[in-house]
This record gives sequence, C-alpha cells and structure tokens, in this order.
Amino acid sequence: MPPYARIPALAALTLGLLAGLGSRPAASAPAPSPSAPPSPRPAFHADRTYDAVAVPVRLRIPALHVDSPVQTLGLRADGTIAVPSRTDVAGWYDQGPRPGQPGPAVILGHVDSTTGPGIFIGLAAVRPGTTVRIDRSDGTYAAFRITHISRVPKVEFPTDVVYAPTLDPTLRLVTCGGSFDRSRGSYRDNVIAFADPA
Amino acid sequence: MWKHGKGQLWRVLPLLCTGLLFLTPVQPRVQVAHAALAPADLAIRFEALLGQHSVLAADLMRSRIRGDDDFVQAANTALGRNTKDMAALVGQLFGTGTADKFSPLWSEHIVELVAYAGALAARDDKAKGDALHELTEYEVELGDFFAGASHGRLSPAAARQAVVAHVGHLTGQADAYAAGDYATADDLYRMGYQHTYDLGLTLAEALLPAADAATLREPLWRLRSQLGKLLAEHAVLVEDLTRAAVTNTPDFAASGDMINGNTRDLAAAMDTLFGPAAARQFQSLWADHVEQLVAYAQGNKDSARTAMAGIERKLGTFLSGATGERIATGRLTAALQQHDTMLMRHADAYAGKDYATAHDVAYQTYQEMFDLARTMADAFGASVAARLPRGGAQTGYGGMATVVAARPQTGFDGMATVVASSPRPGR
Repeated sequence: MPPYARIPALAALTLGLLAGLGSRPAASAPAPSPSAPPSPRPAFHADRTYDAVAVPVRLRIPALHVDSPVQTLGLRADGTIAVPSRTDVAGWYDQGPRPGQPGPAVILGHVDSTTGPGIFIGLAAVRPGTTVRIDRSDGTYAAFRITHISRVPKVEFPTDVVYAPTLDPTLRLVTCGGSFDRSRGSYRDNVIAFADPA
Repeated sequence: MWKHGKGQLWRVLPLLCTGLLFLTPVQPRVQVAHAALAPADLAIRFEALLGQHSVLAADLMRSRIRGDDDFVQAANTALGRNTKDMAALVGQLFGTGTADKFSPLWSEHIVELVAYAGALAARDDKAKGDALHELTEYEVELGDFFAGASHGRLSPAAARQAVVAHVGHLTGQADAYAAGDYATADDLYRMGYQHTYDLGLTLAEALLPAADAATLREPLWRLRSQLGKLLAEHAVLVEDLTRAAVTNTPDFAASGDMINGNTRDLAAAMDTLFGPAAARQFQSLWADHVEQLVAYAQGNKDSARTAMAGIERKLGTFLSGATGERIATGRLTAALQQHDTMLMRHADAYAGKDYATAHDVAYQTYQEMFDLARTMADAFGASVAARLPRGGAQTGYGGMATVVAARPQTGFDGMATVVASSPRPGR
C-alpha cells in the first residue's frame, strides 16, 4: 500500500467500523481451533528443576598453548580474591557464575613465577577473536571468543565490570601486567581479557 | 488489501481495528509517563514495550484465527495502547520527528499481521500471499527507517534482518497455531518475545547518543533489563496458561511447557546471583505459585487462594533474605500479593468473557512486574556487590618482569587494540 494512501484508508475504514459495529462477521471458515473443550481438566505440573551448568575442570586456549586443569578459588580473609596455588594452573572464582551459565565467569592465572613464565604469560598480547574452551565436570564444554583486552592499575580495578552480575554468559580471564613493584613484590596492573560465547 | 477484499468484510477487520488505534482514547487507568526518567530508563522501558508488543500481536493473531471476535477487539485495543505508549517513548528517546514517522509504520505492520491471521483463518492462500507481500514491504520500510534514524550506526541490512525475524516469529507462530501445532506455536511465541524485547536494546544502542548507549551496557542496567524481561514474561505466560486452563483448551499442555521454560530461566538467573541452593529453593516456591494460579483458574478458588497467601509470605521472606533485607519482607510480600491478585482478576475476567478487563489487567500486571524486576535487580545487584572480591588479583611474582612490562600498553576503555606477538608456552 503506497504511503500516501495509508492514513486516509485507515480513517475511512474506522468510520466504516463505527457505522457498522455489531454486524462484524465471524470467520468464514475457522481454522483448527482450541476452542472446543476436551475433558477432563488436565493437570499442570510446574518444573522444579533447571539445567544447572557444571563446574569447570579444564581450560584450553590453543593460541596461547594453554591446556590446564582448573582449581577453584574463593576469597581471602582480607576480601581480595584468592589466586591459583601453582603458576602453571588456572583458577576459577567459585563464588561467581560457572562458565557458560548466565553471568560473568572469572578465571585467573599467573603471568609468571619468580623464575619463569606462568600460564597467562601470553594473555596481554592475545588477539581479539582468540577462542577459549572450558571443559566442565559433566563432559560438556563452553566455548568463548575474546573480544578485547584491557590493562588497568590494580588500585583502580574495575570490580563492577569484571564481576558484577548480569545474565549475559560471558568470561573474563585475569592476570598481572605492567611494571613490577619490587618493594611490594607485585605487579602494578592487571590484564583482563573479556570474552563472549563463541 | 482493498483490491483483494471486496465483498468480504472479515478481510478489512484488521484495518478497521487498527483504525481504532487512532480514534479510541487510551484507557486512563495505567499511565505511562516517564518524562523525568533518564534515557537509559526510558530505553529499558522501550525494550519492555517491544516485548509486550510481540505477545499482544501474537494473541491478537491467535484470536483472529479462532474467530473469537470479542477477544480480537480487546486484544486490538491493548495493542493500540502499547503502540501509543511506545510512540511516546520513541518521542522522548529519539525525538518527535522520529516518533511521527515510527507510529504509522509500526501500526501498519500490525495491520498486515492481522490480515495474515485472517487469511489463515479463512484458509485463503491468496490473501495470505498478499499479506506476506505487504509485510515484506514493511520489513524493508521499517528496517530502512531504523537504519536511517541511527545515522549509520545500524546498517540497513542488520535493521531489516531484525524486523524480518520479528515478523517471522509472529507469522510462524500463527501458522503453527492454525495447524494445531501448539508446541511449535508456543516455542515461536517465546522466541518472538525475547527477540523483540532484545531488539529494543539494539535500537536504543544504535539511536541513542554514545554515552547513553554505553550506560545500557553497564552491569546494573543489563540486570534491570534482563530481570525485567524474565519477570514480565512470567506475567504474560502465566496469563496464557490460565486462559487455557479456564477454557480447558488443547493448547494447555504447550502453554504449560512455555511457562515452565520461563520458570527454569528464572531459576538459572537466581543461580547466577545466589548459587544453586538458593536457585532450587526459589524454583520450588515459584513452581508452587504457578501451580496454584492454574488451580485457581481451573475452579479450585478457595484452596488456591489460601495456598497462594502462604506462598507469598514464603517467597517474600526468601527474596528479602536474598537482597540482604534491602527490600523488606513485608514490602515484597505485598508486591507478590498484588501480583497474584491481578492474575486472579485476569482469570476471572477471562472466564466471564470480559476480555476488555482481562486485557486491561494483563497490561497493568506486565508493567508492574517490569517495575518490580527493576527494584529487585537493584537490590540483588547491591547484595551481590557486597560480597565481590576487593581490588585486583595478585597473579604474578616478577620472574618475567622485563617481558611482562614490554607488553603493549592498553587502557581500560574496552577499545584496546592488541598487537600480535609470538605466544609462548604458558608453562
């Protein structure tokens, strides 16, 4: 219908309806309809279970040659996040979402040890588009694709952006970066890789 | 349509009904006036109205297929109200010029959707083809309109694809419904709702200024939007199920599957926020809530009403606890009581064939659940935030400090361009 004809047509039709209201015809040949009541009344049972996503057990990032079991991590007494006990193993923050369920799952890995590279030594240089696969305890897996990398001072760590709950099934990989503060024995920055479902 | 509709009044029904959109005054009971709200707030309400459009359009098409003309009238009035509310928000968000162009385009695609349903009811393949042809034209026009309004941020192809998907969900569910394939019809009903709701975010991100669009991606705003989608959908689907329960129709089982899907999604959301144990507890209470509403619709009113009162108290206590009592138990219980009362009123009105009241109540219930979801999202978010890790992670010991310091410098702006380097073994 050409645009110039639309509004006049609608107005004319409306006036027609107002004039003829009450003589609206029924459908000439009704399609199969649920209007015929069967009997007896069926029972309804609401679901009381849902598909809970299993916990992660292995992290694979082929582009970084990462293939590691996954530890579980909680909080330290001071409220900071615990870190993996080994520098060659990744750790999943188990107070947050599991990878692949709604929400941001967070996996940590060391960038180095005191003598050599850690599991996430290459994370800061990873290309957007890199695939990350998480194997889960029930044999399933979740695949993600890194969208962007950020480096941020630890004193300005964006807790909200990394951990705060949404229902988007995302993944964040976190390690250290920037310069090393010898006096504190700590890197000054964190590197965060943000990933969406592949 | 005129050229194909001579002598058959049913064919002009969709146009007649939509003509009423322009003349029938909006019922004043539930006002949607959000002039003082921030753009992000308006945007998530726009998302909710788009989702509501999808289910109201599907309901209207289904009633047209059934030949239930009284329901058609009431559903059409509700859809007209939704269109008016949406146009008002479009005006506030994107300007009156955009709203002026949006309203007729949007109304006209509804006309053709109803024409499509009418053709299905009459098993008139030619009329169905004509409606599809018109819909295809509107898909292009609507897509181009959205793309133009975005000033290049949304490509015409992407915009058209979104509109095509929206129309496809609605025509697909109508096809399946007309064929008596209620499982497929209801799968598409849910998909259509979710897609159209999310279309609101796509449009808002494309049409709003960059700073406002970025706000919509902040975790709190995402949670508000996403919880709103799930809880408002709950209201829609429980109404669909209670309507099927009232009339004991063959789509009852499929409708039950549909609300169960929503309940599972809500439980999964609770798992994300509070863990699996809390999710299981929530789902058990929520399942009781839905079952009692169905029991009410099936005629067991007294026992259902009594059971619902107990469930409201338990759910209120549970949810208040989840928020760390950021929302008091009494306030939540009262909100849940209001929700149940509205759903019972809807079922009663539908049983009495007072479809105007049923739609009026359903419209209000949808908005109230969206508003409740926003309140809960804020409280849930604050509750979760209180136990998040503090500060950064100590994930390095300095053994590779020279190499690590030489990595590309990127700021925390989400726009980092990372220069490729040779990856080295992680261990």
